[in-house]
Amino acid sequence: MSSLGRILLGVAFVALLLSFARWSPERFWVSVVIQMLISGLFAMSLDLLVGYAGLASLGHAAFFGVGAYAFALVAKHVSPSVAVALPGAALAAAIAALVIGVFSVRASGIFFLMLTLAFAQMLHALAFGWIPVTGGSDGLSSVPRPDVGVSGVNLFLTSNFYVFVAVVFVVGALALRAVVNSRFGLALAGVRENERRMRALGYDTTRLKLVAFVVAGTFAGIAGALQASFDQFVSPGDVFVTTSVTALVMVLVGGAGTLAGPVLGAIVVVSLRTFLADQPLVGARWETLLGALFVLTVLFARHGLIGIVRGGLSWPRSP
Amino acid sequence: MSVEQFVLQALNGLAIGSLLFILAAGLSLVFGMMDVANLAHGAFYMLGGYLAYTIVRGSTSACFRASIDFWIALLVVPLVMAVVGFVVAGALLRPLRGKHLEQVLLTIGVAIVLADLVRACWGGEVLSLPAPRGLDASVTVVGQPYPLYRVFLIAFGIALAIALWLVQERTKLGALIRAGVADTEMLAALGVDTERLFAFTFAAGAALAGLAGVVGTPILGLAPGIDDTVLILSLVVVVIGGMGTLSGAIVGAFIVGPANTFGALLVPEFALAFIFMVMAAVLLFRPAGLLRR
Amino acid sequence: MAALAVTDLARRFGGVRALDGVTLSIEPGERRAVIGPNGAGKTTLFNILSGEMRPSGGSVRLFDVDVTAEPTWRLARRGLARVYQRTELFAELTASENVELALLRSGGVWFGRRDVRITARAAELLARVGIADGRARARALSHGERRQLELAVALAAGPRVLLLDEPTAGMSPIETARITELISTLPREMTLVIVEHDMDVVFRLADRVTVLHQGRVLADGEPRAVRADARVREVYLGHEAIA
Repeated sequence: MSSLGRILLGVAFVALLLSFARWSPERFWVSVVIQMLISGLFAMSLDLLVGYAGLASLGHAAFFGVGAYAFALVAKHVSPSVAVALPGAALAAAIAALVIGVFSVRASGIFFLMLTLAFAQMLHALAFGWIPVTGGSDGLSSVPRPDVGVSGVNLFLTSNFYVFVAVVFVVGALALRAVVNSRFGLALAGVRENERRMRALGYDTTRLKLVAFVVAGTFAGIAGALQASFDQFVSPGDVFVTTSVTALVMVLVGGAGTLAGPVLGAIVVVSLRTFLADQPLVGARWETLLGALFVLTVLFARHGLIGIVRGGLSWPRSP
Repeated sequence: MSVEQFVLQALNGLAIGSLLFILAAGLSLVFGMMDVANLAHGAFYMLGGYLAYTIVRGSTSACFRASIDFWIALLVVPLVMAVVGFVVAGALLRPLRGKHLEQVLLTIGVAIVLADLVRACWGGEVLSLPAPRGLDASVTVVGQPYPLYRVFLIAFGIALAIALWLVQERTKLGALIRAGVADTEMLAALGVDTERLFAFTFAAGAALAGLAGVVGTPILGLAPGIDDTVLILSLVVVVIGGMGTLSGAIVGAFIVGPANTFGALLVPEFALAFIFMVMAAVLLFRPAGLLRR
Repeated sequence: MAALAVTDLARRFGGVRALDGVTLSIEPGERRAVIGPNGAGKTTLFNILSGEMRPSGGSVRLFDVDVTAEPTWRLARRGLARVYQRTELFAELTASENVELALLRSGGVWFGRRDVRITARAAELLARVGIADGRARARALSHGERRQLELAVALAAGPRVLLLDEPTAGMSPIETARITELISTLPREMTLVIVEHDMDVVFRLADRVTVLHQGRVLADGEPRAVRADARVREVYLGHEAIA
């Protein structure tokens, strides 16, 4: 396809996405797509680590949660203005990622996975225990929707909030796309493929990984802020290991190392949760289906659903 | 804190430490042999606990009924879990041999499925199991009544540690395990069927998780989410002690157990955060754990 | 000032002395071959020179700067590159991307776009080592092509000192001839240190030859003199014929 064709297709897609709430008949569907976009952004940010830098993190909920709590606190106590609360959430998540990253990126493989898990659980314990600030297990309720500062545009209306989320999603996706296509993105692929060789070429790979960790954490924080304002509620569950695991499932089921893959994974997971939960028999067991799907992906489809679309199944190969 | 209080809390810490040791021994064994952190270890514990609950209580599972004694559960549940572990290792982990990270990810999937199936069979409410007859009494410690079952748990943990130590140091199986931890390729070159050894190792790890589930349930109870709590605590134990060694599991467990108990006493809201801080500190100064392999 | 000066370098593995007091001085622009029977300490020496292994004693100076304790990436920034004996490439990336990564390191800008000039420069380097299609993934290349790509990656970093660890290992005679020709046409100001088993290649390329034996320098000098050295002949007798 020519580059002009790609741009036109992209613009058409974005226009369709932004106007969805206008022509969709039901609020229910709008809410479902909002959730897909938020989860999709979260999963894309994790994929920067898992798929591009080759760092399997099991603690990405830490930054989603920090973003969610920071947004809730700033919006409630400082200002719900979109120009204050959203950057505040992103900044808080970035700082958390910097601190946790300094300790974590020195480890690799299984140790990185366990360290990120441990740090996320530390933050979960904090969210649970620091009751005066976080509300403990009750969480924080009546979190306001952001105020975009345009009179007459009220984000408490689902259709308006949808447009806001869609805009943040598109901007976030384009930014992440720019990151993975940049020189830095190529350097991350180099770290994933052969970190030792990268060092021999003169790259400070620890710093590369740390920057990737902070960028991924920042976007996860933005997704967390969107979630907090969508639900108008935050709870320690946002920082819990299941949130990290779900994001990892989205990335791997959809297809790591692409940006469309994690979004596809988010659509699958949100759909399973939304549409199967009501069904008799299988409905209550949607998590079993999800887990089984994950196991099958790890076993047979190394490049996820995107990989199946592009090139068929891969039988696990011996090393 | 009075001296009496301190002694009782120290005993509580040792009891939790005992339980954590049983869990960490299984996790560490699997990691040492296979280089796989089994993230379904907590789910194995939970399944073991619920199985024990049903075997002892007899009626509450939607899936099956039974009614036998706690002591029989102590024998049966680890065997059942060993079979579960054997199947997981043989059917799911084996095709991914050599790809450690993929194997770890796969255990996450297994954990999700098991946790959901447990919820299907036992529902979501909090369940508790009384201490078995004979151990449901109290003993007097420093003039205070103290549950006999916790004393039993401490003794059980110590006895198991000694038994595992003897197996590791004095038997042919132990020699095989030590050799496998040091160098799997060497074992393969000597003609040992490493695939079978891995499957049995994973089964043994699952059996230890199941055993912990049986003895842990009378003090921790059962509820959805116990799998994550238990998994994370045992990961902390092996990270602090050092992955892949029995002595590391012992040291880690008897640091984390008391740290948990006293942390809960001193800073009730932040007991868990306190433990993770201990872990971060250890990792900062001894990246491979206190007792490196 | 020597490009690379090694003083009294030692490395022990348990009780084994892999390197035992090795002293070398390599001038800028010199092409030095390091030869010796298996187990002489050649690979250990290279691992220490490229910063991947710490010596037990002694020092390494690169252009008069003590670099003994420096990590690999810092040495690379000082102008040291290595062609590995076992191919070390980015398997899932294309040949062009492999070279681009080496080019970009000196470019520095982190968030810059990957522009056409870099791609063109990569294509130029690939053509020089004899790889026509830069779009092929590294893992899809033949063994010989991978070795050629390895050389292109090392050259892309623009090194002042290039360590070549058996550049012709596992190559066909034709490929060996081509890569030898290629190395011989490298800029004369680039300092080369070559570990090589193929003596034709050694005598074709090297200005000086150092013979290692049991972790010590057995002989050091012009190729012709080393070839005539009685002790060298003795060491090699029955191992490899020295032509």
